[in-house]
Amino acid sequence: MNDDFDKQVRSQVYDLTMREGTPPLSSRIAGAQSAVLASFRRLADAHMLVLQSEGGEILMAGPYSAVPTPFRVRANGVAAYGNCIWDALGIPAMLRSDAEIDTSCADCGTSASIRIVDGALISQGLMHFAIPARHWWKDIVFT
Amino acid sequence: MLFFRSEEHIDRWCAAWRLDRGAVIPLAKGWELARVWYGEDRRDPAWRRRTLEETEAVFASLGFTSEFWNLR
Repeated sequence: MNDDFDKQVRSQVYDLTMREGTPPLSSRIAGAQSAVLASFRRLADAHMLVLQSEGGEILMAGPYSAVPTPFRVRANGVAAYGNCIWDALGIPAMLRSDAEIDTSCADCGTSASIRIVDGALISQGLMHFAIPARHWWKDIVFT
Repeated sequence: MLFFRSEEHIDRWCAAWRLDRGAVIPLAKGWELARVWYGEDRRDPAWRRRTLEETEAVFASLGFTSEFWNLR
């Protein structure tokens, strides 16, 4: 029974997130809040969401962040934040839309505007993965 | 995963944070990865996470075959 409820919760989370650009609070999801928060926890345990360290609300519904990050995305006329550069690119990938990503070089801070137009990337640059893949979920916020 | 202007900037950042250099891919390859990784519709109740084997297949399809990408 939890499984069906969790699928409904996840579906609602992504429906709201993709339309509004930010993961919703538990109060936006149909059902008793305690049941929704318990579902968020199970989805986080299954690595489908990442929760804030206190309160049980969503921090990340990949590729979206519930809090501002250095990866600002505008896609389908909606502003959003990606959790990292991979996730910033993941937002237009998920929406199948054009996008403008405003970020900066992590070393020197020089601004960078990355554009996706008609499915093509129109920008230069590099992506660095500091943590080997098998360790990503040991500390997904740092990753 | 962070964005950098060039290899030189990655090396400087790693030295500043005393971190080993990890894996580096061009942004265009990152876009390919994002399209595969996030291309499925997660609103679909039937969506599920990839298995380890499916994730390995994704990495292999993109040429990510070094030890850095080993999931086991």
